[in-house]
Amino acid sequence: MPDSLFDSAACALAVTQEDGTILHVNPRLSDWLGFSAAELRGRRFQDLLTMGGRIFYQTHLAPMLRMHGSVTEVKLDIRHCAGHKVTVLLNANQRQQPDGVVCDLALFGTTDRDKYERELLNARKLAEALLQEKTAAELALQQAQAELSEAYAIAQRRALFAEQMVAIVSHDLKNPLTAIRMASDFLQRGERTAKERQLLGHIGQSSERAQRMIADLLDFTQARVGQGITIKAVPLDLHNVIQHAVDELRVAFPAATLVHHAEGLGQACLDADRVQQIIGNLVANSVAYGDLLQPITITSRLGDNACAVAVHNHGPAIPETLLAGLFEPMTRGTDQGSDVRSVGLGLYIVRELARVHGGDVAVSSCVVAGTTFTVMF
Amino acid sequence: MDLRHRNNVSVMGHGPSTLVFSHGFGCNQAMWNYLAPHFLERFRVVLYDLVGAGLSDLSAFDKAKYSSLDGYARDLNEIIDAYAQGPVILVGHSVSAMIGTLADRFTPGRIAAHVMIGPSPRYIDTADYVGGFKRDDIEDLLDTLDSNYLGWSSAMAPVIMGAPTQPALSNELTESFCRTEPDIAKQFARVTFLSDNRHDVQGLATPVLILQSSDDLIAPVAVGEYLHAVMPNSTYCLVDNVGHCPHMSAPQACAAAMDSFLAPWAVADA
Repeated sequence: MPDSLFDSAACALAVTQEDGTILHVNPRLSDWLGFSAAELRGRRFQDLLTMGGRIFYQTHLAPMLRMHGSVTEVKLDIRHCAGHKVTVLLNANQRQQPDGVVCDLALFGTTDRDKYERELLNARKLAEALLQEKTAAELALQQAQAELSEAYAIAQRRALFAEQMVAIVSHDLKNPLTAIRMASDFLQRGERTAKERQLLGHIGQSSERAQRMIADLLDFTQARVGQGITIKAVPLDLHNVIQHAVDELRVAFPAATLVHHAEGLGQACLDADRVQQIIGNLVANSVAYGDLLQPITITSRLGDNACAVAVHNHGPAIPETLLAGLFEPMTRGTDQGSDVRSVGLGLYIVRELARVHGGDVAVSSCVVAGTTFTVMF
Repeated sequence: MDLRHRNNVSVMGHGPSTLVFSHGFGCNQAMWNYLAPHFLERFRVVLYDLVGAGLSDLSAFDKAKYSSLDGYARDLNEIIDAYAQGPVILVGHSVSAMIGTLADRFTPGRIAAHVMIGPSPRYIDTADYVGGFKRDDIEDLLDTLDSNYLGWSSAMAPVIMGAPTQPALSNELTESFCRTEPDIAKQFARVTFLSDNRHDVQGLATPVLILQSSDDLIAPVAVGEYLHAVMPNSTYCLVDNVGHCPHMSAPQACAAAMDSFLAPWAVADA
């Protein structure tokens, strides 16, 4: 019997007019919703839904029913007469009758599955939120990296520009300085008063100092932006070369006591001018920072496979904090020597010269033993 | 930008003026299948899918651009410029009536007239305005959308996401009717139901035909009457219909009302 099948079906059933007006319901629907069959008849099915469901019905379900004549597996919340929600899955099918279109509805309770689906949905939302967070963090990191590398590129361009500038200016200063030295040398040859000789001596010493600074700057720029410092290494008598250099330095630094120690015998293959430059820079440092009441000792050492020169002075130790960067350009021991020496390139050039000879430079400094720079070739 | 691909534009019919049909929230241009054929003999007819709906190019869905109706209105103006000939009459259902209003405001004079089917300038009630909904109702709708996209989102997505390489096939459109990518649907639902276009419709001087269903939950009669009152050049037509889609459930009544309203544009210029 169709009627008994309708009434005892294991799902809720309803028949409506095309506009949703309920014509028949089975007892299961009455039971689920808490309304009697008489109360449900004449009401529109969509009016039983929650407000979200009603909007969904108007914007999706009704157009789909009109288009396809059926819908399946639509999940809706129906308002129970006591106020709580009953979650159902709806299948609907339109059917042509002699007196118009009717719609058969089948509803399945799905409250537990709904809970499970909501859990899934929440888990997915959480995962999506986390993913979004991660993506945002990655984006921020990328941006920071891009900014950093751009800043680095700018800094590099500025440094290169500055170094090129130093190279150009140093080179251009050479000629006027040579002219000043030649002129002061020429003037010194004539009859001069004591005062004039003293002044000419100042001019000569100052321009010599300026020339040394420029030589340092040119070596620096050669090492940094040019092809590197070049040398002409030939076999030489190292002790002799150092002795000669020390003799010259005694004239340049009359206030200091310079002692030369020669140790060992053998041959060395070095650039004599550059070795003199190394000794000159190291001694100038000792004069600037060391204790001039005690001697400055220059040692030349020859061995079987290696040779070395060392410069030792007494006086205050180099602060620990400075030791690490001591051979970097623009580093100075203290401000005390700034009127004595140059722009802080001396030790950088010493190291470059040592390296271009295949060697290196080391320093040891303490207040008891004093300070020793050793260049090993 | 290939508009035909982006908005799945279909052009048909012949006539001196162009009817551009713009569908509402939830569906696609297939909803015009019951109404648009009526005009093919007398008008050039342009149908399209809003980006994110139907067979539009889902990759064109830019969250920021479509975070308000303005983005959709700019698209509509582009479609009008590319495909319309002669005077343009916009037939907009539901939210598309407001998209058309914005398009009109952006380029005054470009749209000659509007047919607004079930329009509403604001869905949420305020102290002095009845839209029919409360803020919680819209959250409830978003929840229902969530529930109903869960089941098929993964399985259906490939079919729906597949970008059409050919002009729309009507069975493809009806197959995917009312289905779209869940995130897009939710954003569009928010934008639609939380927008307030009362300021835009106020004083709109373009001729407007309001087709108001006698029983419509989404756009109640009071809203249709409100619109008629604030748009000085509007014609109000109450259609005996239950539901929000009279162009689907009562197409003859809609066509009859439109025929008389459209008469000035249906004949060729002398």
